[in-house]
Amino acid sequence: MERILRDKKAIVIFLAPAFIIFTLILVVPIIQVIYYSLCDYNALTPPKFVGLSNYVSLFTADDTMRIALKNSIFFMLFSAISQQIFGLVLAVLLTNIKKGRNFFKNIYYLPCVLSSAALGLLWAFMFNPKMGLNQILAVFGIKGPLWLMESSGFIPLPMWVIAFVALWQYLGQTMMLYMAQITGISTELYEASYIDGASRAKTFRYITLPLIKPMFVTTLSLNCIGSLKFFDLVYNMTQGGPNNRTHVLATHLYEQGFKYFKYGYASAISIVLLVMCLIVTLIINKSVKIEDYEM
Amino acid sequence: MQATTYGVIQLLKEDLSMKKKVLSLLLSTAMVASVLSGCAVSTDTGASTGTGTTEATDAASESTTETAAATGDEEEITWMFWDDLDATEDLITKGYKEVIDRYNETYKGKYHCNVITTNLEEYDTKLNALVAADQTPDVFICNPGPNLTQYVDAGIAQDLTDILQNQESDWYGTFTDGIFERITYDGKIMAVPTNFAAACVFYNTDIFKEAGAEVPATYEELLAACEKIKAAGYAPISCSAGTTWCLSMVAGYLCDREGGPDNLQGITDGTLDWTDPTFINAGTKLKELSQYFQETAAGDSNDQATANFYNGEAAMLVQGSWAIAQINGNNPDFEDHCGVFQFPAIEGGADPNRMIVKTDNLVLSSKTQHQEAALALMKMFTDDTAQKYTAEVGGKIPVTGVEIDFDKAPKQLSFIEDILANMTGTFGFYNESLASVEAGDVFDNAMVDVFLGNATPEEAFQKVQDFYDKNVR
Repeated sequence: MERILRDKKAIVIFLAPAFIIFTLILVVPIIQVIYYSLCDYNALTPPKFVGLSNYVSLFTADDTMRIALKNSIFFMLFSAISQQIFGLVLAVLLTNIKKGRNFFKNIYYLPCVLSSAALGLLWAFMFNPKMGLNQILAVFGIKGPLWLMESSGFIPLPMWVIAFVALWQYLGQTMMLYMAQITGISTELYEASYIDGASRAKTFRYITLPLIKPMFVTTLSLNCIGSLKFFDLVYNMTQGGPNNRTHVLATHLYEQGFKYFKYGYASAISIVLLVMCLIVTLIINKSVKIEDYEM
Repeated sequence: MQATTYGVIQLLKEDLSMKKKVLSLLLSTAMVASVLSGCAVSTDTGASTGTGTTEATDAASESTTETAAATGDEEEITWMFWDDLDATEDLITKGYKEVIDRYNETYKGKYHCNVITTNLEEYDTKLNALVAADQTPDVFICNPGPNLTQYVDAGIAQDLTDILQNQESDWYGTFTDGIFERITYDGKIMAVPTNFAAACVFYNTDIFKEAGAEVPATYEELLAACEKIKAAGYAPISCSAGTTWCLSMVAGYLCDREGGPDNLQGITDGTLDWTDPTFINAGTKLKELSQYFQETAAGDSNDQATANFYNGEAAMLVQGSWAIAQINGNNPDFEDHCGVFQFPAIEGGADPNRMIVKTDNLVLSSKTQHQEAALALMKMFTDDTAQKYTAEVGGKIPVTGVEIDFDKAPKQLSFIEDILANMTGTFGFYNESLASVEAGDVFDNAMVDVFLGNATPEEAFQKVQDFYDKNVR
């Protein structure tokens, strides 16, 4: 094994497939997109270089972009906070119960495995005024709101609804990752703390929490990036309506690109999205310090 | 799915001492997850695929319905359509399926047609994606207006003038006069129509009788009728704001009844602003009329709004005559209780005998390798058998001079023919008559805002004007 790793040719051969694929499907398209974002391009005629004008109109003249930015940031904050809290709580609870642990673990993880396009449609039916939730509410004499069409407020009701569905869907993933980390903590540490007379709450605060910190960074990054580039549920539940009020960056991008053929403009949106993801990851990695503990 | 896999890799990196069991569990879950989500985007060539759950992010994925198995040595063409040929209750769609079956039977061993279907809402997006990926279907259905214009401008649609007028002049001769008007660009015919529909008001004669309402000829009478129907405990008008063009069609009628043909023409020529009083008045009337819509109008889709009507919950439905096929297909008993009248006049407004009309059109891809086969298909869509079906079963108006037996046709069709006899002019959907697809959406959205009460008519039309100032003029 070591001999192979000293052979430079072998290293090249082993790295080549991954490197080539990575370049072809990631690096090249990103460079292309950066170029297209500087062009007036409709995919049917050759791109025409227009400099930064796409970005200028994106930030000065596009109302939908403002809405999409606001919604995406809301979505990111909501997901990050709610997933961290509920994911951790669930993980702690599940690692502490003895019976039915696997059962509940699978139940909570199940939505994560299903296609979110299908789930989006499913929930759209649930929140449809003619079926689902409002019919149940009507039995109790409550007139339910138009869950997916209400358009008033800074963050309109449909955004909260979609954020809730996303939480339901992806909670399992955060929970799973935390569970893995918690299970990895040596039981000796807990035993020692019990012998020293620590309460459960104290054990959680002084042993569990510090030791799962690395996972905190991972899950938080995943939550934030995942929700910034979120698309499926929004597209399947509201398609950005009513009147563009529930657009997020990815759906705005999709509409501009595939509906109006404004590929250059859509590329500019995708670059904004990329930069936002990078910034968020950077902030998270810089602001959380991880100390290494022996476990 | 990337996220989960990434997470697992992170896990591996950061926590080497983790118990193997947990890891393997996580890994296997991740694998199951990727397998499952892989299924969702795979191209399905099964015989009866649904269209509702197509993965939107994957431009190349498509549900292909094969009506009969191709033998392999046939020339294969694709046709793209906005409804599922197998799952539908719509009679026009069923007619299209018959055409495809007939085509594959007639030309067995020579040509074979594969069908790509989507649902209506996603049709344009999907087609655009296919065009951009250079996989344009040989023949596809297309709305008139900016939708078609964008394909013409991009050179996707083939110029059919020469084919129709010289090579296939017999075929060209079968079409009714003027039918090519809205699909002709600079004297070039860019598509072939398959049927023709006019938008009217359908009404439930039973509810009208019960409420003591009269068929209205003017807007004031319409409001009076609505009031009576409301008092009788029914929803006066069924409309969908969830599917924006449905609401926009009502708005379009109001705009035209206020200002007449000059309105659209003025907008197109740049001589009229959207802030013109005729538009504002139309917006005000839309808001006024919307108080008579069913309670769930804001969230209902087009299909739900139409169902409201044929299930007898609402008294009126403003729709194109394509709705006949949907109404009679879903509730055959309703045919005898369904009347039709033209959209009422506005007193002091413009000519009330103008109608919103629309053709379904077949576009031939300019890049097709199978022109002969594709033309054979297009001919079959407009031959006597198909056109007779269009009228007698589907209730839409044929595009050729074929003889129709009106006794066989849905009753609503003859009502519509009566209205058409007095027609003085036609216009397209407002959203399909504007400068671009996006401009149409801006108009639609402005109307939805008026309806939801988020904007006054003045504010809403100012928004459309702003869009025009910025992008069109």
